Amino acid sequence: MSPPGGIKIKVRNLSFAYKENTVLNDLSMDIAALAVTAVVGPSGQGKSTLLSIFNRLWEDIAGAHLRGRVHIHLNGDYQDIYHRSCALPALRRQVGMVFQIPNPLPMSIYKNVAFPLKLSGVSNKRQKRLAVERALKQAFLWDEVQDRLHEDARHLSGGQQQRLCIARALVLKPEVLLLDEPTSSLDAAATEIVEQLIMRLKKNCTIVMVSHDMAQVERVADYGLTLSGGRVVNK
Amino acid sequence: MAGTLTEKSVVLWAWLSGAVLTIAVGGLVGYVVVKGAGSLSLHLVFGDTAPLDAMLLRRQVFDGIFPAMLGTLALVGLSITIAVPIGVAAGIYMAEFATSRIKAVFGLFFDILAGIPSILVGLFGFSVAVFLHHRVSDRIMPCLLISALSLAFLVLPYLIRTTQVALESLPRQVRITAPALGATRLQTLFWVLLPQSLSGIVSGVILSIGRCAEDTAVIMLTGVVATAGVPTSVLANYEALPFFIYTISAQYADQAELMRGYGAAIVLLAICALLFILATLIRHRLADHLLYGVR
Amino acid sequence: MFRDQLVKVLFGGAAAFSVAVTLLIFGFMIVLGAPLIKDGAFLALFTDSWLPGQGQVGIAPMIVGTLVIAGLALAFSFPVSLGCAALISGLGRGPLPALLNRLVRFMTGIPTVVYGFAGIFLLVPIIREWASRGSGLCVLSAALLLSVLIAPTMILFFVDAFAAVPRSYLVAAKALGATAVQRFVHIMIPGAWRGLTSGVVLASGRAVGDTLIALMIAGNAAVLPESLMDPARTLTAHIALVVAADFDSLEFRTLFACGIVLYLCTTAMVILTRRIGSASEKRQWPAP
Repeated sequence: MSPPGGIKIKVRNLSFAYKENTVLNDLSMDIAALAVTAVVGPSGQGKSTLLSIFNRLWEDIAGAHLRGRVHIHLNGDYQDIYHRSCALPALRRQVGMVFQIPNPLPMSIYKNVAFPLKLSGVSNKRQKRLAVERALKQAFLWDEVQDRLHEDARHLSGGQQQRLCIARALVLKPEVLLLDEPTSSLDAAATEIVEQLIMRLKKNCTIVMVSHDMAQVERVADYGLTLSGGRVVNK
Repeated sequence: MAGTLTEKSVVLWAWLSGAVLTIAVGGLVGYVVVKGAGSLSLHLVFGDTAPLDAMLLRRQVFDGIFPAMLGTLALVGLSITIAVPIGVAAGIYMAEFATSRIKAVFGLFFDILAGIPSILVGLFGFSVAVFLHHRVSDRIMPCLLISALSLAFLVLPYLIRTTQVALESLPRQVRITAPALGATRLQTLFWVLLPQSLSGIVSGVILSIGRCAEDTAVIMLTGVVATAGVPTSVLANYEALPFFIYTISAQYADQAELMRGYGAAIVLLAICALLFILATLIRHRLADHLLYGVR
Repeated sequence: MFRDQLVKVLFGGAAAFSVAVTLLIFGFMIVLGAPLIKDGAFLALFTDSWLPGQGQVGIAPMIVGTLVIAGLALAFSFPVSLGCAALISGLGRGPLPALLNRLVRFMTGIPTVVYGFAGIFLLVPIIREWASRGSGLCVLSAALLLSVLIAPTMILFFVDAFAAVPRSYLVAAKALGATAVQRFVHIMIPGAWRGLTSGVVLASGRAVGDTLIALMIAGNAAVLPESLMDPARTLTAHIALVVAADFDSLEFRTLFACGIVLYLCTTAMVILTRRIGSASEKRQWPAP
C-alpha cells in the first residue's frame, strides 16, 4: 500500500489562474507520504488555493481554471484526480480538509463527527459509534466530550471546535489530510494540543499543512515548500 | 454509492417541477396571447368611433376598451396620489424615527393590513360609502373616489415596507458621512438618505401602480361598472380593464365581444409586464449604487 | 429643532393613520356584523346551509369551500414550489435554473384576472373533457389555477431561505464529500425551515384571500362540495356575489361574518409567520 518512492502526491506543470491573475505558475512537486509537508510563503500567494487543488474544492469559483496534472496515490494506485472518471464525493472522502476557521455544522457533537458516515451510507449504529469514538480519540477530544456527545457542537470552545472538525475529517480514514492554517484562530494552549495531534496523525495519514507561523513549521513539519510568485522554492 | 437512485430521483423531481411550472404559466399566458393577438388593433381600443374624436372626448366609444383604459388610468392615478405620500411618510417614520417598540407594534399592524384579503378591503370601502351616504351626503355612492381610497389602503402596507427597507438597507458609511460633517437629522434624511434610497422607493411605487391596475376584487365592490363611458367625475361610476375582462368572461354576447376580452387581457398583461420590468430595472440600479458607494 | 419635531409628528401621523385603518377595517366588520349576534343567529351562521329563500343564512358551505380549495391548492403547489426552489438554489446546472428564477419573479406581476380568464377558456374545458362530467367549473379547476397563482410566493420565499443558510456549513459538507442532493437534504432544508414554513403560511394566506379565481372558476354553488368535480363557493367569492343584496338584510350582514372569519384567519397567519421568524435578515416582501 505504500506508494513507490514514498511519494503520495505528484504535481506536474500545474498552473492555476483566476480571472486574468495567474495564481500558480507551472508548479511541479512531490509530496511525501506519511509525513507532514508545510506550505509557507507570503500571504496571497496561493497557499490555500494549492490545498484546494488537491480536493478540487476550488471548482465552484467562477472564472477559475487549471492546467497540468495532479496524481494522488489512493487505494494502492496513482490516480489522476482531474480525470473524468474521478468522482468528487469519493475523492473528498479520501482527501479530507480542515479549514482555518472551525466550521461545525449546526448539530450535536456526535452528529457532526458521524455526518460523513451518513453521507457515505453507513447505517449500522454500532459501527458509527465506534468510528466516532475512534476519530474523537485521534483528535484528542474524546475525554472532553464523551459525556456530552449530544450537546450542540457550537457550544464548544474554539480549540475544541477545531479538534472536532479534525475528528470529523478523520472519521472516514482519509489517506491525505489538508490543513489550512489550522491553528491561526486558536490560542497558544489550543495550538499546542493541535500540533501534538498532527504529529501523531502522520503515522496513518499524509498531511499537507498551510502555515504562516515559521516556528510552528520548525516544530511540526518534516518537509517544507515555500510558495512565492506562484512557484516553489524548496526549504 | 448508496442511494444513487434516490439522488437521481430528487434531481429529476426538481427538474420536473420546473418544467411543470413553466408549462402551466406558459400555457395559460400563451393561450391568451395567441388567441387574442388577432384582436390587437385600434378597433379594439376605439371600436367604431374615430380615434381622434374619442381621444378628444368628442364622441363616446361603445365597442372599444378606451373608456376602460381611461378609467383604469384615472383610478390608478388617484389611488397612488393618495397612497404614496402617506405610505412613504410612514415608511420614513418607521426607518428613521420609530423606537424599536413602535417598530414592532406598528410593523405587526402593517403586516396584518398587508394580509387582509382584497375583497375585505373592498367590503370596507363599500361599507364606508354606505355609511357616508346615510350620514353625510346623499350624493356619496360607490364611485371612483371610494375605489381609489380603498385601493390606496390596499397598497399602503406595501409602500410602507418598501420605503422602510430601502432606507434601512443603506450601509453605515452612508449614514455617518453627513452627520460627521455637522448635518442635522433632517438634513441627512433629505439630502443624503432619501436620494440614495430613491430607487428602492420608486420601484415600490411602480409595483404598487401595477397592483392598483390589476385589482378587480376591490373595485368590484366600490363602484366599477361594465358600462359608464369615460370617467367624468370622481363621484361617478367608471369602467376599468380588469373588471371589463371579468365581465366578458362571465357573459359575452358574441365572438366579437369575446375577442375584445382577449384583447383587453393582453393589454392589461402588457401594462403590468412593463411596470414590472421598469421596477426591476430601477431596483437593479439601486444595487449598483449600494455596492459602489455614493453616486 | 422645531422642524425636526414637525416632520417627526407628521410622518408619525401617517404611520398612525395606517395603523388606524387596519383597526378600522376590523371595527367596521364587527360593528356591522353585530346585529347577527343580537338576533341570536350567530351559531346558526356556522352550521346552517345557505338557503336565504328559506331563511337559512349559514356560511358553513363557504367556509368548507375555502378550506378545500385553498388546502388543495397548497397540496398541489408545495411540492412543485419546493422542487423549483431546489432547482434554483443549486440542484440544477446550466442556464435554465436562472431563467426559471426570472420567470417566477415575472409571475408575480401577472394579473389574477388574466389567470382566471385563461382558466375559463383553457383549463375548464380540459377538465370537463377529462372528467367527462360536470361543467368543469369545480373545486379541482380552481385549486389547480390557485396553485399556480401562489407558487411564486412560496418559491421566492424558499429561495431566499435557502440563500440565507450560512455558506460555511455548505463548504464543510462539500469538503466531506457530500453531493449536491445530500447538501440540499441534510444542510439546506433543515437550515431553512423557518423560511420554508413562513413561505407556506404566507401562501396559505394568499390562497384563502383570493377572490377572483374562486369566483370565476369554482362554480359558486353555495353547497358543500362532495367531490373534486363539484362546484363550491369560497368566503371571498360569496362576498363578491352577495354584495348586490339589500344592505339591511340578514343575508348582507352575513358578509361581515365572512369578513370577520377571513380577517381573523389571515391575521392568525401573519402572527404565526412573525413567531416563526424569517430565516433571512432582510425579509423578502411578497408582491401585494
